[in-house]
Amino acid sequence: MRFVLPKGRLFKGSLEILRKAGVELKPPENRELIVKNGKYELLLARSFDVPVYVEHGVDVGIAGSDVVEERESDVLIPLELPFGKCRLSLAMPAESLTEIEDMEGFRIATKYPNIARKFFERRGVDVEVIKLHGSIELAPKIGIADAIVDIVETGNTLRANGLVEVEKIMDVSALLLVNRVSQKVKFEEINRLVLKLKEAGRNDV
Amino acid sequence: MRKDLFSESGRLADITKYLRRTFELWGYREVFLPAVEEFSGNLRKGTKFAYNNGFYVIKPDLTSQILANLKEPRRMKLYYISEVLNGGIRGKWQAGVEFIGGKDVQMQVEVLLTAITSLEALGIEDFYIDVGSLKVWENSMEGIEEFRGEVFEALTRRNFEIIERLPISEEKKEELWRLFNFRGKRCGYGKLNEIVDAVDDERVFIDFGTIRPLPYYRDIIFEIYSPRLGKPLGGGGEYTFKGTDAFGFAFDLNALSKLFDGRKMEKSRKKVSGDLREAYRLARELVKLGIPVEVGE
Repeated sequence: MRFVLPKGRLFKGSLEILRKAGVELKPPENRELIVKNGKYELLLARSFDVPVYVEHGVDVGIAGSDVVEERESDVLIPLELPFGKCRLSLAMPAESLTEIEDMEGFRIATKYPNIARKFFERRGVDVEVIKLHGSIELAPKIGIADAIVDIVETGNTLRANGLVEVEKIMDVSALLLVNRVSQKVKFEEINRLVLKLKEAGRNDV
Repeated sequence: MRKDLFSESGRLADITKYLRRTFELWGYREVFLPAVEEFSGNLRKGTKFAYNNGFYVIKPDLTSQILANLKEPRRMKLYYISEVLNGGIRGKWQAGVEFIGGKDVQMQVEVLLTAITSLEALGIEDFYIDVGSLKVWENSMEGIEEFRGEVFEALTRRNFEIIERLPISEEKKEELWRLFNFRGKRCGYGKLNEIVDAVDDERVFIDFGTIRPLPYYRDIIFEIYSPRLGKPLGGGGEYTFKGTDAFGFAFDLNALSKLFDGRKMEKSRKKVSGDLREAYRLARELVKLGIPVEVGE
């Protein structure tokens, strides 16, 4: 069975919960991106690419609900996992706080253009969304955006950059993703894994 | 401009040649649909645009486009090969059939066999077809109708936790869990048993976890997949048009092209050589008999 896990904040938690479910995956020792361990194969990918790998044939993956929502990949999501909890929020500089309904024409910097666009569409506000790949908090500071849509864990990064959380867009958690065809072809194996992960998750809470 | 459009086109030409032949052998006629339709809420997918104060859709979903163009239902067997857009400028190539106004069960059996023989014609033998039923799920919703949305979300995501969180009886959860994981050759639904019996192919299974969340499907739905590819090869289902039953499916041509081995198919082509007049006389006879031929230089 092939697993794809995200490099970054969910990696450790993913390895840990899989280990508790009886799937021992070895983290890579150097810069390799594929590690084999007995009948398992581990692929390491950028968090935003995990749903895409699963959609296109990797059996199982773990990704945040933020990236799953953003990529809109056609994958099965049998479980919410008990780690990686945070929120995706709209934030803006404390000195220019504005009601969402008054943000018409604002520039919004984000790694999540789809989610941001849908959020403002639902509120009937027309904004310009700028896609950035990192350090989103910089954008309002140097004046290329009026607000940002980004992950908030403790709020420290926002505060350090003079930003205030205006509204939570969604709660984020790690999700188990399964390829549609693998669910059929490896029916028993995947069902067993889901049950074990569920059990491991319950014991963690 | 697309990268290597002509090689992609060559592969599609090879595949659609076999599909066209199989669809026609089963009595389907090709339907030629316009690339642009006036916007209507019944059209699914496609890319919308405005022109001269009107709203239009380019290359919508074919089943919805056929139904939008059909004034009155009548018995028809149609097939199409077309690109379908989904909001963008790059689409997916699909080939599919629609059997409208056929007899219940017989129509389903024939369409499933059309799918099976089409794949066999392409030399693709290692596939499975999972057949499910929306009616079975609708019936299981008795007494918990207000949670229909949650149950279907659970099915689409294959996430039973959504059902576990519902304030419904343990017996109901148990019943839904059994359906969720049911996969076999016989079930408690006579119509499905009859279809699977008549199709009589070891690669066809009943699987209630198979759900295709398209609004027009009414009961029997199916998905075709191969262990060699991580994406479904296609799928289809049963729908009703103005009270008339219909059943259809579509293949994802990109998925088929990943499994199709053109070289294997070319081996069946008869090679003819020698005296030009004699070689072409023989080639002409072979073509008349429907045998692929190549005259050597």
